[in-house]
Amino acid sequence: MSFSRSLGLCTKKDAAWIAESSKPKEEVIMIRSTTKTLTAAAIAACLALPASAADPGPTITQIQERGSLLCTSHNGSYLGFAEVDDQGKWSGFDIEMCKALATAILGDPEALQLIPVSWAQRFPALQSGDIDVIIKVTGWTMSRDTDLGLQYSRPYFIGPTNILVRSDLGATSPEDLEGGVFCINAGTSIERIVADYMGARGISYEALNFEKAEELRAALYAGRCDALAGFGPFLAATRFNAPDPEGFTILDAVLALEPEGIAAREGDDGFIDVINWMMSALLMAEENGITQANVDEIRANPPSASVERLLGASPGVGERLGLSDDWAYTMIKAVGNYGEIYDRTVGENSVYKLPRGKNHLWSNGGLLYSLVLD
Amino acid sequence: MPGGALSRPPPAMAGRLHQLRKRLFSNWFDGIVTLLAGAALVSIVVNLVDWAFLNAVWSEADVSQCREVSGACWSVIDARGRLVLFGLYPFDQHWRSTLACLIIVITMILSCLPALWGIKRLSALWIAGFGTFVVLMYGGIFGLSVVTTEQWGGLSLTVFIFAGVFVLGMPMAVGLALARRSKLPVIHWLAAIFIDTVRSLPLLTILFAAAVVVPFVVPQWAQGDKLGRVVVAFAIFYAAYQAEIIRAGIQSIPSGQEEAAQALGMNYRSVVLDIILPQAFRNTLPSTINQVVITFKETSIVTIIGFFDVTASASAAVGRGEWGAYYIEIYVFVALIYFVFVFGLSRYGAYLERRTRLHHG
Repeated sequence: MSFSRSLGLCTKKDAAWIAESSKPKEEVIMIRSTTKTLTAAAIAACLALPASAADPGPTITQIQERGSLLCTSHNGSYLGFAEVDDQGKWSGFDIEMCKALATAILGDPEALQLIPVSWAQRFPALQSGDIDVIIKVTGWTMSRDTDLGLQYSRPYFIGPTNILVRSDLGATSPEDLEGGVFCINAGTSIERIVADYMGARGISYEALNFEKAEELRAALYAGRCDALAGFGPFLAATRFNAPDPEGFTILDAVLALEPEGIAAREGDDGFIDVINWMMSALLMAEENGITQANVDEIRANPPSASVERLLGASPGVGERLGLSDDWAYTMIKAVGNYGEIYDRTVGENSVYKLPRGKNHLWSNGGLLYSLVLD
Repeated sequence: MPGGALSRPPPAMAGRLHQLRKRLFSNWFDGIVTLLAGAALVSIVVNLVDWAFLNAVWSEADVSQCREVSGACWSVIDARGRLVLFGLYPFDQHWRSTLACLIIVITMILSCLPALWGIKRLSALWIAGFGTFVVLMYGGIFGLSVVTTEQWGGLSLTVFIFAGVFVLGMPMAVGLALARRSKLPVIHWLAAIFIDTVRSLPLLTILFAAAVVVPFVVPQWAQGDKLGRVVVAFAIFYAAYQAEIIRAGIQSIPSGQEEAAQALGMNYRSVVLDIILPQAFRNTLPSTINQVVITFKETSIVTIIGFFDVTASASAAVGRGEWGAYYIEIYVFVALIYFVFVFGLSRYGAYLERRTRLHHG
């Protein structure tokens, strides 16, 4: 319970947290009126004090006391993002981000408990404290951000809706698919996205809807449809599993984008700061060519002052977040930079071979960039 | 016996062959139906054998051949079967999960033996069985590393949930059934309202509430482990249905028996345990076995609240790029696991029916 601690060491973050925890979802039963009075007192006390730079906020304090980060995994597998190897160990893009966050906060990628949660369970599990953070291909939508009381980080993955086509059609753009048959997952937002995109361009098509991923794939492989529209990583897996993977191509066209963010409980700004800077450090490492392999070398001879600070060779990057100064160095040493994580899990070094596309750095035609480290 | 001495049965004709001919080809329509059904059966069996055995690839090392052959790719079982059976349980500790699973299965088999029937013996057996299971799975003593329940999975989790639900739910069901038959109106109505309320809620909702909603409304010290909560909630659900089955059994016994027992001066406990319940169970054995089998299969629903039972680990097993195409093989594998357990339960039910019939009257 963050109560007594907050009264001792107060920041605005704590005040917000206390206000948040006076909602009935907090695990400890409290008499409501007393809580309100105390909350008001705490807020008043906190506003009177200057914010302490080193206080990382309740979630991080909790993680540090526990000695492990409670992060999401899946009730099964989600291709490329959370999957289980032959020995029951998790891997995948989301899992790597969990590891990166655990390393940033605790200095150890193994200081991590991966809790399997279903899609429906992830939000209540976060609110009840079963998990600290949701890293589970979770789109940043307005209702989640506001009604569900979540706070999102910057997007860590830009989820594109693409089209997978049979290569022998020779199509290079959606316009070439005029009059073709599309296989679409019934009842998903993909249906609407395809209709909007094709409608706006006046391309006629025929839709064939299926409930299950297996049916969609079987229909495509059997030639019942010319193209399959869906989430990029899913299409990459579909192509990989085809009897003849070369027989299918993912078109460059992006029908729609869904920014996937890391979600935490509302009101813990310190934690969101750490998540955003973790993302930024991974991207900055890639921008500066810092990899898992050469991070020691670059730390010894930093090419610029900001890289020197990023890797903790000169102080500043840790203290302001309430972390150790070498957190970014340890993290890159443990999981590599953003590009390495991408390539290893869903990109060219994985079986999926999903092109970087919009998930490339801005300098390579993508949408990703690091924040300024001053 | 009017005229019985003269009329003899007609002579038996060519035994079994004649029987077959009479049953399958007694007229031209039957003949055609038999031929068509026979041809369909043969073609299904041939195709199945062809797919499952003749054209199949067996070992993980040969997985590259899977794309070429028309048969099953059992390599996926070779590579991922362990994941299906053990879920997320730490790889080097799988022996613990195996042992724990065996212990629960042995406890189940032992409690099926009539020699061990008795409230004290069964309670002792199950406390010992569950105790050993939890010590083995959770660890933390005897130098075993701690494995939290989030990492439990696969077959041992499925079997544990099933056994827990049955062992907690059955006494609850008996209690509810007796309560609903109680002559005290308060108890009678409370039991009736409880049973009807639980039965009108979907199992999924109950489990979701136990796993996800409880942490919001119950103080932390009273929450217990998520797995424990889910087993208890599932047991309550099972008990509501089983209670009605038992009540049907109780109502099938003529009320004269109970009255006679009371007239003989037997106390309530003895009337219930010696006269009512044994007969109620025997009369409702088919529906009880039905409910037990349904419960075993319904354990797979826990995957929706993040538990890694056999079905969840099966979906994890195919949810990896290189294995995604072989979901049929994994589903067949999981179906076989369920088949072994459910078929075993059904055969045991049939045995019980034969056994109780012998003692009848």
